[in-house]
Amino acid sequence: MNQKYIKRLLGIIAKKPILYTYGSTFSSVSDKYLNIFTIESLRNAYSDNSHPVGFGSLFVPYEMLHALEITPFPPEVMAGFTAGLGIASQTIKQSASNWYSQDLCTFHRSASGALELDVFPKPDFILATNLACDAAQKSFYIYSKKYGIEKNFYLIDVPYHYSKESLQYLTGQLKNIYMDISSKTGREPDYSKFREIISLSNEFRNWAVKVNDLRKDLTEYPPYFNALNYILPFHVLPGTEKAVTLYKHMYRELKKYLAIQQGKNGSKGNLPKRILWLHLKPYYKSEIFDILKKENCIVVFEEINYVYWPELDPLKPFESLAKKMLSHFLGGKIDNRVKVILDIAREYKIDGAVLFSHWGCRQSNGGARIIKDSLKKLGIPTLVIDGDCVDRNNSSHGQIKTRMQGFLEILNSKT
Amino acid sequence: MYTCGIDVGSVSTEAVILDGKDNKILSYAISPTGSSSKNAAKNAFEDTLNKAKLKSRDIKAIIATGYGRINIPFADKNITEISCHARGAISLFPDLKTVIDIGGQDSKVIKLENGSPIDFLMNDKCAAGTGRFLEVMAKAMEIDLEHFAPIFIKTDGKVDITSTCTVFAESEIVSLIGQGVDKDKIIKGLIYSIANRITSMVERIGLEEPVCMTGGVAKNLGVVKALEENLGVKIKIPDEPQITGALGAAYLSQNIG
Repeated sequence: MNQKYIKRLLGIIAKKPILYTYGSTFSSVSDKYLNIFTIESLRNAYSDNSHPVGFGSLFVPYEMLHALEITPFPPEVMAGFTAGLGIASQTIKQSASNWYSQDLCTFHRSASGALELDVFPKPDFILATNLACDAAQKSFYIYSKKYGIEKNFYLIDVPYHYSKESLQYLTGQLKNIYMDISSKTGREPDYSKFREIISLSNEFRNWAVKVNDLRKDLTEYPPYFNALNYILPFHVLPGTEKAVTLYKHMYRELKKYLAIQQGKNGSKGNLPKRILWLHLKPYYKSEIFDILKKENCIVVFEEINYVYWPELDPLKPFESLAKKMLSHFLGGKIDNRVKVILDIAREYKIDGAVLFSHWGCRQSNGGARIIKDSLKKLGIPTLVIDGDCVDRNNSSHGQIKTRMQGFLEILNSKT
Repeated sequence: MYTCGIDVGSVSTEAVILDGKDNKILSYAISPTGSSSKNAAKNAFEDTLNKAKLKSRDIKAIIATGYGRINIPFADKNITEISCHARGAISLFPDLKTVIDIGGQDSKVIKLENGSPIDFLMNDKCAAGTGRFLEVMAKAMEIDLEHFAPIFIKTDGKVDITSTCTVFAESEIVSLIGQGVDKDKIIKGLIYSIANRITSMVERIGLEEPVCMTGGVAKNLGVVKALEENLGVKIKIPDEPQITGALGAAYLSQNIG
């Protein structure tokens, strides 16, 4: 599989009638739009030559790229796709040949291998941040060297503490990056466009908040729906109509499921145990969620879908985006993350938490003990699973299954 | 009412038949698992039936546990070894707070509260800290595993085994023997290397007494002693530690139907 092949494939699938026929094969409306918008976004990155392509790490303010009409391409999310498509073993092998340490997170290793194997489109700009992820800032710079575009590599340095000075410092960086890309692409800064993008981002945020509120009572979900699959729209698409449309549909769909669930309330039966999912999940085929279902447990919320930032001010786009980045609970002290987790645990009436401790991800597994102890104080047990979100060969299937099943047995034995 | 628990481990398979009237063990069997967990479970089950002079129709319910628990067609249910070991250990020592289980392929520490498991930890995905590690080393040293405990007790001083990986540890001891290092000190070092790994797991989960040890490795008094020394506690050992998981499964079978 290489760029040419993907281009050809996307050229066929992304044609509207085929795409919507494909979309209709999903039993969930949210999944339908997720897949359609993902394919459209990829098609734009691979085939639309009228806009520059910008690689971005997960926590960069993508609104800025949308405002500059740069087509975003998130290599870490794409690494998740390499797992889903079953090509991660090839991409990871390729990264090993290029001296990437086996200790490095496989999202970055698989992305680097994919890049070496010419699976990704060539970027014009690369944006990374040190927010939460240490590996991104380094590996994305290596990507820029590989493409010979070091001068178009931007590192957004997010300060450890949220203060007035930090906000000014970060706002200044974002403005400089915006201006620099503007001048490199020969486009005049368009602030009215930027205001529109910020307003769309707010609209998406409002729908996401509504979805999250609704989920506090929801235990009946559309078949195969898994909110951990919505990384691309939640992080990359804010500022686009796509993100708004998707979350609007998701809200309506989940509201219908809530009504069905409430209709069944007469026959309450054995209520499922409520699980909070911490960090990400395996993006290859895994039995983990089948085990949850079998043991009558349900993931009621995921930390990654928490709306952590305040509404943005369209008149102050740079400052707003700086505030968004500084508000992230994965930035700064572990206490910020713990506070959010405890708030979620209370709001969603969690019975147990699962922390999928992804190989090589320092921000995820570094705080495991503190998170486990903090939740314990609320009487909530936590299972820490050492696994790999991308490389199935780095996860022992049987061991993960036993740990998961054992944890759920303990949870279910509690009245 | 008779129930049966079958623990299909990576090295051995155990079956226990329990009489629900007085919760007495009627019979048990231990056999090597070999290449087919299904056959191993069937053989162990038949063996226990013969010993108890019962027919399979006399058994009200069967629960399978252990890594091979999924593939036992005649079992009514499968439950993880975490729940089964905890239940088995509690039936023997009702006031337990911590269970250390070291089997052939994995090791685990289970924390109990009021007789129920509330937390657990298992070894990561390698054989270090398991029975397999000791077996491989015994073979490499051409010394019967049963001699490890007396050697541990009589030997002063040890040689630290620095390799975590079983394969590299095997090369390390071959090289130590080649250098003329006292084999007894190597054995003592090997036992401590297992005990140290388990100690760190116990400390992570939080040590609380009383502590019990189950699984095949609990028969090795050298490992037990090293753990007692590391943890500073006395460890309770069942008469037949290897059948604790199967015993727990037999108890949990009483709740079926």
